[in-house]
Amino acid sequence: MSAAVNPLANPKGGKKLCELCHKPAYLQCTKCGVTFYCDIAHQEADWLSIHNRVCQMLVPVRTPTPFHNLQTERDHHRAEIRKAQEQLISMSEEEARRWLFEGRCQEALPAARLCLRIAMETHGPNAVQLVPAYLLLAEANVGLGSPSLAEEYLSQAEWTVLKTPDCSGVLRHRLHRNLGSLYSTTDNPDAALQHYANDVYYASEQYGLDSIVTCGGYFLMASVFQKQNKMDIVNSLYSKVADSWHGHLSKLMENRMKLSVHQTLSEVERCEGDRTLTSMLEQQEEMNTDSALNQFNSAQLLHCLSMLWSLAGSWTKALQFGHRALVESQRVKDHSLTGPIQELLTWAQAQHTHTH
Amino acid sequence: MSASAIIPQQRTPLLPDISTSKISAKDRKTRPQTQKKQSPPADNSNDQTTRVTKDEISLYRNSQRQNVCVAMLREGFHRSFEELFSLLQRFEEARQAGGPDNPLWYLPSLQEQPEKLLTLQTHLTRAETAFRAGNFAKVYEEQLALAGYFTGPGEDWLSLYFHQVALRSAQRVRLDGGRKEAEANANLARVYLEQGQLDLAKEHFEVFHCLSKERPWWDATGRPLQQCACEGLCAVYTQLAQGALQSQEYELAIEILSKAFNIAKEADDEEMQGKVAYWVGLAYHRVGDPKTAKEYLTMSLNTSTVLGDTECQGRAYKAIAKSLESDGKLEEAVQHLEKFAEVSRSNKQQENLEEACMSMGIIYSNRGEYERGVEYLQQAYELAKSVCNVGRLQQAQVCVGVTRAQRMLPSFSAHTNNGNPDDIQRIITWKDRRQDAYDYSTVGKK
Repeated sequence: MSAAVNPLANPKGGKKLCELCHKPAYLQCTKCGVTFYCDIAHQEADWLSIHNRVCQMLVPVRTPTPFHNLQTERDHHRAEIRKAQEQLISMSEEEARRWLFEGRCQEALPAARLCLRIAMETHGPNAVQLVPAYLLLAEANVGLGSPSLAEEYLSQAEWTVLKTPDCSGVLRHRLHRNLGSLYSTTDNPDAALQHYANDVYYASEQYGLDSIVTCGGYFLMASVFQKQNKMDIVNSLYSKVADSWHGHLSKLMENRMKLSVHQTLSEVERCEGDRTLTSMLEQQEEMNTDSALNQFNSAQLLHCLSMLWSLAGSWTKALQFGHRALVESQRVKDHSLTGPIQELLTWAQAQHTHTH
Repeated sequence: MSASAIIPQQRTPLLPDISTSKISAKDRKTRPQTQKKQSPPADNSNDQTTRVTKDEISLYRNSQRQNVCVAMLREGFHRSFEELFSLLQRFEEARQAGGPDNPLWYLPSLQEQPEKLLTLQTHLTRAETAFRAGNFAKVYEEQLALAGYFTGPGEDWLSLYFHQVALRSAQRVRLDGGRKEAEANANLARVYLEQGQLDLAKEHFEVFHCLSKERPWWDATGRPLQQCACEGLCAVYTQLAQGALQSQEYELAIEILSKAFNIAKEADDEEMQGKVAYWVGLAYHRVGDPKTAKEYLTMSLNTSTVLGDTECQGRAYKAIAKSLESDGKLEEAVQHLEKFAEVSRSNKQQENLEEACMSMGIIYSNRGEYERGVEYLQQAYELAKSVCNVGRLQQAQVCVGVTRAQRMLPSFSAHTNNGNPDDIQRIITWKDRRQDAYDYSTVGKK
């Protein structure tokens, strides 16, 4: 799989550098023949992260342009290369995101770097298309505990966005969210709040006020306020987040039960929902005050989780949460939740027995 | 071997190394600064700080709307943010909806008026702080302040919106026995009344009336709230009844007006009673019950005479006269019209005076008293000329003409019937000269 390369034996001008660290390379990937590494550890890391999926795709992009007689042929070749590059960008971005999502930041780095390099080759060094790659790199670095590097990438991204006045709101929202999480890890709550506020603003413009994307920003803000011990704000934000999730999931659930539309949550949404709702539930239980509001919130959160798992198809979890939600909701005076929960429980039970 | 082959070319990698951070501390520090120098400072007033902070840059770079939203979110005021955001969106939608035909199109957008945005921010955040603390009375006050703040053109819906939310907050105030709720209802009802949504206004005034009934509450000027409620309800009922009268639903009008009359009685307010009585009388008159009509109208007349409200007095005289006229009591009708004219004259209400003269003239000419009829109609004509009302002027012209012609008719027919050469001669000379009467003396001399 790897062949030795001697740097002295390379043709003049064609320096072969390591894919990961940009040092002179001593190894070559034999499958594609266009990727080089300084040692076996780097090759293995790259292979695991992204190279196994893009190995063959890199060949046309990295081989020199063959000679074509006709303009049409040259154009055609250029278009082909462009298409391959676009595909590589989206693929590596997706891969990096998946790694980040699983919390394996070290593995995400080579993929994100490939994404950035290809994007730079395709769009030039200052294009706004580079911003997603910068954001991925920053996120990975925040996860790895090197905020200085993350800051470097983020300021690059911020600068690019600043120079692109017609940059989309989605990109701005993601940039600010990343900046916010950077500052909240580096213990700068004011800056973090500033960026989260901008994040919520852009997300509201793009997705609407009650969207779960906007809610993500609120949830992060709440964690900053919690560090500052402003519990009234935290509670108010949590109730907003819970309401939004409840509304979103109820709508999906209704479609599923009444119209039997199989519109499930995406993997990302499911995981985010699970994480958000579970942590809020833990908060509620920690507070351990027996106020009616608290019980209502718990019931609502449990109902959300139950719906979440029903939509994901894990019936045992759904039923477990559903039963707990029912118990909580019956302790509250306001019985608005009891009806939907019971409905959900009977439906989930039926589905459960049906699948077995 | 050339030197370049041995010494590696000075090439800085495009990307920082992932394994070891080689970026020098100096590098890292300079970058954000260069970035800041690019944007001009937002505020030169505080010269003590040479560095421009990120906040100042964002103040300069971003839209006012974003700045206000972000400032609220930073403090955790997410409810205020949502409210402001959706209001701005609604305002824009309303503006864009009709295109250039929409009168709102030419008004400045709300987000381009910083002082309004700032006012909204201050009050909304204060309200949210109070909301978190469960102090709904304070929330109500802040919302009320906002409702009063928006008075400009195209902002009536904003005011209405804040009155509505203020009502919702007032309903959650527990410890004042519902006084805030009553006030909120009253405010909302007044806004609806201004906008002409009578049914909604009625609904809220009824709630207000219900809540303030027999309560020892006074408003800022020292009037009891119950009286305010009665007054508002009367106004709404009267307007509703006027609508019903116009669409000829007399039964409905009488029903509404009798409710209004009861309320006016309850409020123990002479003036209100008089005004309502006038409308009740009018409704009965239309329905064809002159007796009851006269009863109510007289009541109205008496109260207005006592209170010295000449306008209402005149109106009552006129209505009574009309009622009497339709009842065939012309003598009394003329008496009332005389009084109407007198009141109008003393009050310098030319139009009313003209109306009175006209009515009297018509009554006299209908009874065959053409001389007096012409006299009054002539007066009406002069008055119409002085108030420059073309419609009335033309009407008066026609009436004067017709009455004069009718005045001529008996002598003309007498002359033709006689058939003497003398008489014929007179008619011929009259035809040449076209005077109002046959001038016996001149004709005789010829």
